[in-house]
Amino acid sequence: MFRPAAITFSLLIAALICGCDNDPNPAPYHKTRPDGSPWRVRYMREPSDPKSFDPQFAYTVPDLQFMEPVYDRLLEYHPMKSDPIELMAGMLEEVPKKEVQPDGKVNYLCRLKHDIHFHDDPCFPGGKGREVVATDVHYVLQRMADPKVESPYFAPLEQKIIGLHEAREKGVKAGKFDYATPVSGFERIDSHTFRIHLNGPYPQLLYWMAMHTMSPVAREAVEYYDGEVHDGKVRPKFRFYMVGQGPFRMRDYTPRRAVRYERVEGYHTSVFPTDGFPPEKAEWLKQFAGKPLPLFDELHILIVQETIPNFVLGRQGYLDSITADKDSTAALVTADQQLTPKYQARGMGLEKAGLPNTFYISFNMQDPVVGKNSKLRQALSCACDMRAYVDIFYNGVSPVSNQLVPRELYGYDPKYVNPNGYDLEKAKRLLAEAGYPGGRDAKTGEQLVLTLEEPVESTEYRQRAEYEQRMFEALGIKIKVNENTFARVIERLEQGNFQLGAGTGWALDYPDPENFFMLFYSKNFPREGANYCRYSRPEFDRAYEAMAQMDNGPERLALIAKMNAMLAEDCPAIWEFDKAFYIATQPWARWTHNSPMIEYGYNKYHQVDPTEREKLRADWNRKPVWPPMALGGLLVAGLLYAVRWSRRHV
Amino acid sequence: MFSAFFNHWLTQDVLVVAGFALVFFLLRAGAKNDRWERAWTRMKRDRTGLIALAVVLLYLFIGAIEAFQIPSAGGTRSVLDLFVAHIQPEKSYSAPLADGLLDPTSHERLHSRHLLGTDVLGKDVFVQMLKACRTALIIGGMTSAIYVPLGALLGLFAGYFRRWVDDAIQYVYTTLASIPEILLLVAILMVLGKGLGSMSIALGVTGWVGLCRLIRGETMRQSERQYVAAARALGQSHWKIIIRHLMPNVMHLVLISAVLGFSNIVLAEAILSYLGVGAPVGTASWGVMIDAGRTELGRDPLVWWNIGAATFALFGLVLSLNILGDALRSAFDPKRS
Amino acid sequence: MFSYLVRRLLYAVPILFGVVLIAFFLDHVMMSPEAKAARVLGPKGTGEVRREWIHNRGLDQPLPRQLVSYVKNLGTLQLGTSWVTGRDLREVFLKGVGPSLSITVPGFVAAFFASVGLALFQVFVRNSPLDRGLTLLSVALMSVPAMVYVILTQAFLALGLCYFPAYGFGDVGSGMLRFIALPIVIFMLINLGHDARLYRAIFLEEMGQDYIRTAQAKGLSNARVLGVHVFKNGLIAIITLVVAELPRLVLGSLLIESLFGIPGLGNVLVQAIQTGDQPVIMASVVLGSVLYLGAFILTDILYALADPRIRLS
Repeated sequence: MFRPAAITFSLLIAALICGCDNDPNPAPYHKTRPDGSPWRVRYMREPSDPKSFDPQFAYTVPDLQFMEPVYDRLLEYHPMKSDPIELMAGMLEEVPKKEVQPDGKVNYLCRLKHDIHFHDDPCFPGGKGREVVATDVHYVLQRMADPKVESPYFAPLEQKIIGLHEAREKGVKAGKFDYATPVSGFERIDSHTFRIHLNGPYPQLLYWMAMHTMSPVAREAVEYYDGEVHDGKVRPKFRFYMVGQGPFRMRDYTPRRAVRYERVEGYHTSVFPTDGFPPEKAEWLKQFAGKPLPLFDELHILIVQETIPNFVLGRQGYLDSITADKDSTAALVTADQQLTPKYQARGMGLEKAGLPNTFYISFNMQDPVVGKNSKLRQALSCACDMRAYVDIFYNGVSPVSNQLVPRELYGYDPKYVNPNGYDLEKAKRLLAEAGYPGGRDAKTGEQLVLTLEEPVESTEYRQRAEYEQRMFEALGIKIKVNENTFARVIERLEQGNFQLGAGTGWALDYPDPENFFMLFYSKNFPREGANYCRYSRPEFDRAYEAMAQMDNGPERLALIAKMNAMLAEDCPAIWEFDKAFYIATQPWARWTHNSPMIEYGYNKYHQVDPTEREKLRADWNRKPVWPPMALGGLLVAGLLYAVRWSRRHV
Repeated sequence: MFSAFFNHWLTQDVLVVAGFALVFFLLRAGAKNDRWERAWTRMKRDRTGLIALAVVLLYLFIGAIEAFQIPSAGGTRSVLDLFVAHIQPEKSYSAPLADGLLDPTSHERLHSRHLLGTDVLGKDVFVQMLKACRTALIIGGMTSAIYVPLGALLGLFAGYFRRWVDDAIQYVYTTLASIPEILLLVAILMVLGKGLGSMSIALGVTGWVGLCRLIRGETMRQSERQYVAAARALGQSHWKIIIRHLMPNVMHLVLISAVLGFSNIVLAEAILSYLGVGAPVGTASWGVMIDAGRTELGRDPLVWWNIGAATFALFGLVLSLNILGDALRSAFDPKRS
Repeated sequence: MFSYLVRRLLYAVPILFGVVLIAFFLDHVMMSPEAKAARVLGPKGTGEVRREWIHNRGLDQPLPRQLVSYVKNLGTLQLGTSWVTGRDLREVFLKGVGPSLSITVPGFVAAFFASVGLALFQVFVRNSPLDRGLTLLSVALMSVPAMVYVILTQAFLALGLCYFPAYGFGDVGSGMLRFIALPIVIFMLINLGHDARLYRAIFLEEMGQDYIRTAQAKGLSNARVLGVHVFKNGLIAIITLVVAELPRLVLGSLLIESLFGIPGLGNVLVQAIQTGDQPVIMASVVLGSVLYLGAFILTDILYALADPRIRLS
């Protein structure tokens, strides 16, 4: 009587388990396009929920990625040109030209493209999106100045755009920002033309125009989406609702799961570029040249915090790319920056992804021990074997850095040799010259003890901290590691309450060397800026100020070389590495673009091939039948045994 | 200065020896009572229980020789280090008993073969596994040293004095118990900063409630017995009644819960590591090894030895502690098992 | 009965206040407002932005005033908004309860039946090698850290064998079952060993009671004694234990939810811990203690209902 039941049961378990589909993505909105061709969906992943969808408030990298499909920007980075990085027109007709006034002030004349519309939304009269006009840009400037918006991009622009500072002051004093008072640096010429007036030369303004922070939003939308109840329905806050003008609109957002977008019919602000194709992809890219955008219909951004599931989903073909993290880098990327053969065989591609950045260990220049002793700092810098570090933690993929500016950027000097690069013998010599032969104080004979602040929030950081400690202790000194959360480390760095601070670094806001050298400018001491080292040298400041206002050219490079030499001499920081981010792309979702400015978004240029995806996915997800059968059998056998045993013995 | 005192190797050695001596003394003193003698006779017949006891003692021994520091050139090292001094660190991962690094592009030969391979920093996993016994011993020992006396005494007081003492103690522990445990742990650890000491304090603060409740109930039951009433009639002081009469009758419960509690502490350490408030840098710990293994399983080739070794070691200790606890319980109270 | 309930509820008020006080104190000494702002805003939110952020959240006010306004808000059931995501916490918690319960309740129920069955069976065959073997198995099951269960199932079942989605969640109707199957099994496994061992002890204690001996003496069959008397009386003890577990079910499992991407309360909590989202943590503490106290009162009532000798006085 038991046996048939047992067999049925184990078959049932097997059927149940094998019948399960392991696709984590919800079904797309449509199966086919109106013209009958297959509906194209792109699947992306972000590691955390969006903090905000407000272009003037959002600033984290994931937030930019969540907003980018919906909000176009005034200017864009060319998706193909990476050397050098180049700006191109976005919502503006062309990249604005600088006009210098007789009194040294500078202004930019900007012309918006005609016939760009906000997406249809109930916040507009009749639900029809209205045209984007010049006053929308003015409104954006006002929002940046409004203290309630908490825009992090206000501070760098405050002193540059005329009238911005005054607008903020007035708002703070009155307790409420007055949107009726205009910002004096904005001059409206006609409905689509405006001029922005600056206090002096500031070529970086153009880069700000390529960021979301200056992306036009509709005042109607900001006022409509207030988070209050109207007519019995709660309207979301503007921070969590996007009314954009870009190629996609957001349709669903489920926290901790996914954000889903659908293409906007009739989007025509830009088309696929026709120039600048990199030679290795040129042949393939030609087919897209001049095509209307976007190239696909639906976008899913899955929120996957954990790294292993991300890797698993990528391998199963449920994500269109796999981001390489510490451990999966070993599986995906070889030391010479190629895709590993195993993944090449799958037809995947490898792309460099991630903003140009650099990491360094900061010295506290005001500390009585390390701050006053440049030989000691140089010795510590020479003791840092970053090659081995990168080999261990990044599989040799991230390049070791020898200067402040990362290699993708203008101002990087490929011929530069860091005098404080790894050389343990030299380090020991320098340490002796610094007054600590063998790591002991020459006068007292006591071992030198230094404190290293380490942000440790996961096991990975813990391992790094341990490595860095070992690296310095090779000199015979003792390193006390002070583990903390990121926030606490930042707090200590800001208070100047440290000797060595690890985990400091910078990812660029815009591709200009000024964005990096400002980290050592003496007017950028915390808390206003990020000069955690508290490096202050008048010559450096003068060079920086001159360099910041210059256009690219040999004169600028000369100043940069001078500043590099000063940084080498004073050694306020130990250059670690420029973190390289890699993404392995699926065969059906080869990347069309080639720019390191990826965080600023190129979704509309992407393409996918759903037919090939279908085929490969089925191939990659075969399920063997025997393990569930065996499991079922085992369970049944166990039960049967128990029943029999108790019958016999009781 | 305070921490310098406690960080000194001599202090730590003295503490380790003192801790073991104290436990031994307490067990000896407790075992004079005939309930304990009967239990010990029964325990001697329980083979599984004895094996578990031996395993636990082995763990404690390994932990103790790692905790015991002796001076050596340029600092101190543990006794365990003496035995493994010949094992050199490698550059990074290597598989168990392999002669080269895991990285296929590297052709360097290893310094020596490693029984369980090496981890990301090239440290021998087997040695790390052994060294983590010390972490488990310290956390388990210090936490027990905090929560066992606290829980037992407060439980005795609450159960004996009743009225407002009971009310006050109940209020405190209900309040503490009603805060989700993991949040309280993380919060205390964030306040105190990382370290084995603060971890023990955090676990001690959250851990005494269960014991206190148990002892309170048992004390109430015992207080209604004749012998307590008799002692009271003889005019003995409260303190004497508690120490002489009540304590010996609840101590076996304390012992059993301490043994079982030890296993919970070891398991809790693993979760704290996942939340990023585990053992500090430079301290070997199973929890950290398991957490590192979580992402290492995504490597290619698979790195399984790190998580495998830590899980095995942790499993062995927790399992033997649980079995030992069960054995003790049935030895003290044969009716109920 | 009614007056007892009222008294119990009143008794809960000072406890809740104590909880809020402890949480507030810990939160205050844990991080300065500056560090909190730095943590939430990240390294690029410096100077002015941070000061505004602190001011807009009232963190620059004296602590007693902050406490009073927090308690006032709690009184009107305002939990505040998350610092990180800016969402109303009532919404966050309401949305998180469902997914949490979808894992914990089936897992718990399955573990309950499996462990009661196992425990009864063990009592039935008590002191045999089978009983000892099963006890050892239960102990072994509870000696594996929960994380190892998750990692292994995820690595082998989801990655290697492609039976279940490795990550994610679906709503009812859109194939929810395949997402929750593995987490439920793991939740069950984690509970099974512990529960089976505990219930076995409870049933054994019942076996030793006088009335069981009387029943056996009357010639009732072993199975009947077990099935009716032991099970019925032991169940009362077990149910009270189960009730005490209920708050845990609502709050969800931190590890399982965050490693499998279940958008439940456990996941909310892990993220809040990792990002320093203080309002979420505070609200979780309050919610946790309310649930705990609720379960506490419920246990008392159940005891009284089950055992008429206990009066609710």
